[in-house]
Amino acid sequence: MSNSPKPPPLPPQYTGPGSPQDVPPAPGSSPIDPATLPGPIREELEAPDPVAIDTSAEELKDGLNRCPKCGATEIRQKPGTDLLICQFCRHEWHGERVEEQFGFGEGLEDLEGTVIASGARDIAADAASLMSFKCSGCGAEVTVNTENAMTARCHWCRHVFGVNEQVANGAVPDAVLPFHIKKDDAVARIRQFVDKRRLFALKEFKEQFTPENVSGVYLPYMIVDGNASADVAGHGEIETARYTRGSGDKKKTYYDADVYQVERHVDFTVDDLPLESSHERGNLDAKANTNNIINTILPFDTKNAVKWNASYLSGYSSEKRDLDVAQLRPRLEDQLLSIARAQVEDSVERYDRGVRWESEGLEVHGSRWVAMYLPVWLYSYHQPGRNGGMLHYIAVNGRTGETMGSIPVQQWKLIMTALTVGTFLEGIGLWILAH
Amino acid sequence: MSHHDGSLGLLLLGPAGATALYWALYRYYRNTDKSHGFERETLVEAKPVTGTDEKVDEVKGTQETRIGGDNVHEYRKRVGRRPDG
Repeated sequence: MSNSPKPPPLPPQYTGPGSPQDVPPAPGSSPIDPATLPGPIREELEAPDPVAIDTSAEELKDGLNRCPKCGATEIRQKPGTDLLICQFCRHEWHGERVEEQFGFGEGLEDLEGTVIASGARDIAADAASLMSFKCSGCGAEVTVNTENAMTARCHWCRHVFGVNEQVANGAVPDAVLPFHIKKDDAVARIRQFVDKRRLFALKEFKEQFTPENVSGVYLPYMIVDGNASADVAGHGEIETARYTRGSGDKKKTYYDADVYQVERHVDFTVDDLPLESSHERGNLDAKANTNNIINTILPFDTKNAVKWNASYLSGYSSEKRDLDVAQLRPRLEDQLLSIARAQVEDSVERYDRGVRWESEGLEVHGSRWVAMYLPVWLYSYHQPGRNGGMLHYIAVNGRTGETMGSIPVQQWKLIMTALTVGTFLEGIGLWILAH
Repeated sequence: MSHHDGSLGLLLLGPAGATALYWALYRYYRNTDKSHGFERETLVEAKPVTGTDEKVDEVKGTQETRIGGDNVHEYRKRVGRRPDG
């Protein structure tokens, strides 16, 4: 075995529609006015969406969690200590919010260099995901597969283990955001989401639809704070005159415009930008997968994340982080540039014929990386097809309840409907031409 | 010419309407165009934007309604990256 360091693999490429290449449409907007569509389609489009709580909402302010022992929420800080105490069963445990504990929300403007929290450190190349423990109760060997779980029960004495110490395989993050939306609630949201999309849904999907099979998963993210400056340059045009030439059938509109060389500079900080730290989840090519669905339910109220404790994960599954800070940096820079372009948009409003940005530059003065597990309710349906088919997700944000999904389409039904409407429109067109 | 444009437009009404409806409904079901709108959903604190605007040219009598290659709203389309940063 050679010890020569290998360069990190290239970051995932995003090219498909729905990838970060496309700015998503505003929530609730529709490219076609529903009022112009036939009744049944209009009813589906206009049915209410599952309600999502704003991440700054009062319901999410607590950041606290249920007592791991009795489930009560009567939790107070024990005066003079870092312990939390359950007022119901008097159980005491650590549950600090990392935000205050590590000062993650502060000093963004003075951020310099790359600050990496201990749970976000590079993954050791030889680290295994299977970890074994000696049970402290009976001495038996217990194995935890950190690819999908962080707790295990000793099959001899029923003692439950959690992987609490930070291990080199990257499975233990700095913080975890516990589930807030209960399973029943998630099921109801998924049902509501699907009820709005039944007319053209795949028959097999509708027949097999069992939202009770939703599962709670903790997905790995890097939560990044950044302090950056960006410069963009290009050309903008302002209309100076508009006139028509020719007459009758040959009438045409012409424009005169002033062309400006435009340059903009902006200094900004971003707080808690979430990036998928799993290679597979970070691949948002909507032609090949539906990971963009899970991406859409971001953001979370990451300010309320608590210090890692594996007991939050018992009963849920988890996915392991497999990307390091260096591999995620290109994506951070890409998103910071997009944010910068959005920030300067208002300052070029007077260019009423638009601006063509031609070059852009970014300087990241400082960034801070925290590894976090975020709670997601996932319902999945596998649609058979070419290249292994397509796995469709419906995802519910485990904190805000924001719901998004991909419903497989019954193609022939959709095409027939589109053709019928098209034929109807063509009939109108021909009628107008004939008269 | 514009008379022909008009009839062509009316003839295309059917195919265009069918295509538009197909894609609108397809996206409504599959949500392929959705992703995290981090530009507006992330807490960003920006200092006032600075910059320069210098008139360099004039365009006369164009029929285009927008500048060629307008990307002011397409934040995520990367343009040439400057080597210095």
